[in-house]
Amino acid sequence: MEKVCVLGAGSTKYGKLDDSITDITIQASIGAIESAGIDPKEIQAGYISNVFGVADKQVHLGPVIMSNLGIPEKPSLSIESACGSGSVSFREAFANVAAGFYDAVLVAGTEKVTHTGTEWTTTYFSYCSDFFYEGGAGASFPGLFASMARAYLNEFKATEEDLAAVAVKNHENGLLNPKAHLRKKISIDDVMKSAVVASPLKLYDCCPFSDGASAVILCSEKFAKEHSKNYVNVIGSGRGGSPATLQGRDHMTTIPSTKLAAQAAYKMAGITAKDIDFAEVHDCFTIAEVVDTEDLGFFEKGAGVQAVREGRTARNGDIPINPSGGLKAKGHPIGATGVGQVVEVFEQLTGKAGERTVKDAKIGLTHNFGATGASCAVHIFQGV
Amino acid sequence: MKQEFVDAVKSGKVLAKKCTKCSHLHLATVYFCQNCGAKGFENEILNGTGTVATYTIITVPPAGFEKYTPYAWVVMKIDDSELRVSGFLGGIGSPSQLPMGSRIKITGYDDRGILLEKQ
Repeated sequence: MEKVCVLGAGSTKYGKLDDSITDITIQASIGAIESAGIDPKEIQAGYISNVFGVADKQVHLGPVIMSNLGIPEKPSLSIESACGSGSVSFREAFANVAAGFYDAVLVAGTEKVTHTGTEWTTTYFSYCSDFFYEGGAGASFPGLFASMARAYLNEFKATEEDLAAVAVKNHENGLLNPKAHLRKKISIDDVMKSAVVASPLKLYDCCPFSDGASAVILCSEKFAKEHSKNYVNVIGSGRGGSPATLQGRDHMTTIPSTKLAAQAAYKMAGITAKDIDFAEVHDCFTIAEVVDTEDLGFFEKGAGVQAVREGRTARNGDIPINPSGGLKAKGHPIGATGVGQVVEVFEQLTGKAGERTVKDAKIGLTHNFGATGASCAVHIFQGV
Repeated sequence: MKQEFVDAVKSGKVLAKKCTKCSHLHLATVYFCQNCGAKGFENEILNGTGTVATYTIITVPPAGFEKYTPYAWVVMKIDDSELRVSGFLGGIGSPSQLPMGSRIKITGYDDRGILLEKQ
């Protein structure tokens, strides 16, 4: 297996964007190409992750993006795995570079949905669940995670205020990220007083619907060394699955696919959770970050809320979680999110994270899943 | 097989499939055993009664559910089995109306999916 590296990374701002899905994907891709210091002609394939291209009247994005980059002859594909599309696409690109099929590829994730409005997004996002049992019975995505939250609050010593603390922390991080969707300091009180979306989750427990695109250049170690001294090694890659429904899981306070993906990634990297310096995790809702940090092995089951309370997951804590602001504050353009996490880790490990730099960070982890964690990918990165 | 399952739900029952090889029990909407991978099943009809395993109260609904809002979406643990099934439970506006563990039952199926009510 070839060693695989991230050579460059680019991203649009996340939020409500005016440009088309094609334009924002190209902007992020050019950012990644320039950051990598390569010629587009050196790209051998394109992996484009996206869920609702149909909302902006453009599916089959791959050839459109490749044509705009002046390389229409290069192969590409679109990958959809709900909110986990970006990391799943990254994994497929990783596998192909590791196998030696390609020396350098473009991995771009993108989404453009905010113009459709809350009802459209709430409805269409619910199609990512097992629709017969969940979306079709009135469960929105906030509702599914709210059901996990109620189970968690019932099982462990945790309060709605504890969950709110996750939002407060991620908003603080988002303030330092010029590309974040929500750049606004909030208090526990603000969260508690925000409108209930799906009890017990309130508006500020939920990530926003965002537009945005992120891209990275993934390549072999040989290719990386020929082009740069400041790249990042991908040292672990793992995937896993969970029952598609919440009802199909024995425990509703854990996500099986996260555990499987993390175990595989730690094994490949030859490390454990203790060796991770910081992580970008899938905090689509506050409860998700708590569950993620436990399933990834940073804390015991039920101890995730205590860690937040004690500031251990803050940017200056012992295991900073979501220094970018996470999905909660940075935003969640669902097809882009998994790639955007890699952009953050690349910037952190190559000294490009500015004010939000995690001190002395050498190893970073990304964790991204689709739906309620039915599909999941975990990746581990090390600076050179 | 889904129609068979829906027909059972309409009469307040849950159609389960028991693996003929390892006896693992699933909802009828599974085609291979999740425990041993075998394909042979025999039907088992369960009473559609149980307890609230977890739930949410939806106040921002997907399209088609506006006129029912607020309502609960519930995961029910089925009596005398390890299986759970989820569905729509109308008329719930506050958590005090539906404590965890409350007894509920399946009452039918329509464009709101599997319908549940408090017992």
